[in-house]
Amino acid sequence: MDFKLLPSKWLNKKNGLEVRRDDKADVSGHQTEHPVYSLQTEVNRLFDDFFRAAEMPMFGRTFSLSPFGDLDSGAITPRIDVHETDKELRIAAELPGLSENEIDVSLSRDVLTISGEKKQEREQNVKGWYRMERSYGAFSRSVPLPFEVDQDSCKATFKNGVLTVSLTKTAQAQAQTKCIPIKRE
Amino acid sequence: MTGAIAERKEEVATPQSGEPVRNRRVFAPLADIYETNERIFVLADMPGVDEQTIDITLEKNVLTIEGYTSSQTEAGLRLVHCESPEGNYRRVFLLSEEVDREGIEATVKDGVLKLVLPKSAKAMARKITVKTE
Repeated sequence: MDFKLLPSKWLNKKNGLEVRRDDKADVSGHQTEHPVYSLQTEVNRLFDDFFRAAEMPMFGRTFSLSPFGDLDSGAITPRIDVHETDKELRIAAELPGLSENEIDVSLSRDVLTISGEKKQEREQNVKGWYRMERSYGAFSRSVPLPFEVDQDSCKATFKNGVLTVSLTKTAQAQAQTKCIPIKRE
Repeated sequence: MTGAIAERKEEVATPQSGEPVRNRRVFAPLADIYETNERIFVLADMPGVDEQTIDITLEKNVLTIEGYTSSQTEAGLRLVHCESPEGNYRRVFLLSEEVDREGIEATVKDGVLKLVLPKSAKAMARKITVKTE
């Protein structure tokens, strides 16, 4: 009876609906998984697939339930924009209120990490707050890179609260883009 | 002393003073506002803006801050991932009577605009000493 709950079995003639299942078959290896467990596996796989699809494939932006998650969560994860040319990748991160000495940019083989700490600057003798929308604290953001970059020719500049990291693609990565000619038949 | 700066929530998509000529999005910068005994401080996050591209106007009791960012226009440069769409900044604050309009100072550093609004002498809290008779 419980076979009906398993969509994966519907198309399987051998273990089809009409086959009566007995416990001995389980032990002997025909049916290794208990049907309830395999149902659970199915459901788990569905959830996994859904969340994997919901994540942006590039640059490690994770799935957020709230469309305003970034602004309202008080998170200080810097927002990034990524521009690309044939030769380089340019990552711009918004880091208002930090100075270049407070930011760390590091590159491992294929992950760029921007981290630092934003300290709260305020006057002495603050009597009252009307509004506190900006956030402070330590942050770190890792950006997976879609191709190999030349480790030695990376540059980072900081201007007006915007950090720009330029990464040059390796000759190999540049060569990977190949034009495929279309023939007319 | 609450209500010294009443912040006017602005529908950012449609600025109140006329139609925008250029088709750019407008964002309200996030701000911190706090006060000490003598001054009110406003800090606004406006990454990408410097002293040349910031406009602060005070009309009667309406203080408007506007910032203009430049877009990346370089041949062959294409946007592949975007979290902070380009656009300008605009936010309007209503000042109360206690702010000394002449003494307002503004500085911008690392993409943060800092406004210092001194309170007028009249509005400052005074301590009254009690004498014994």
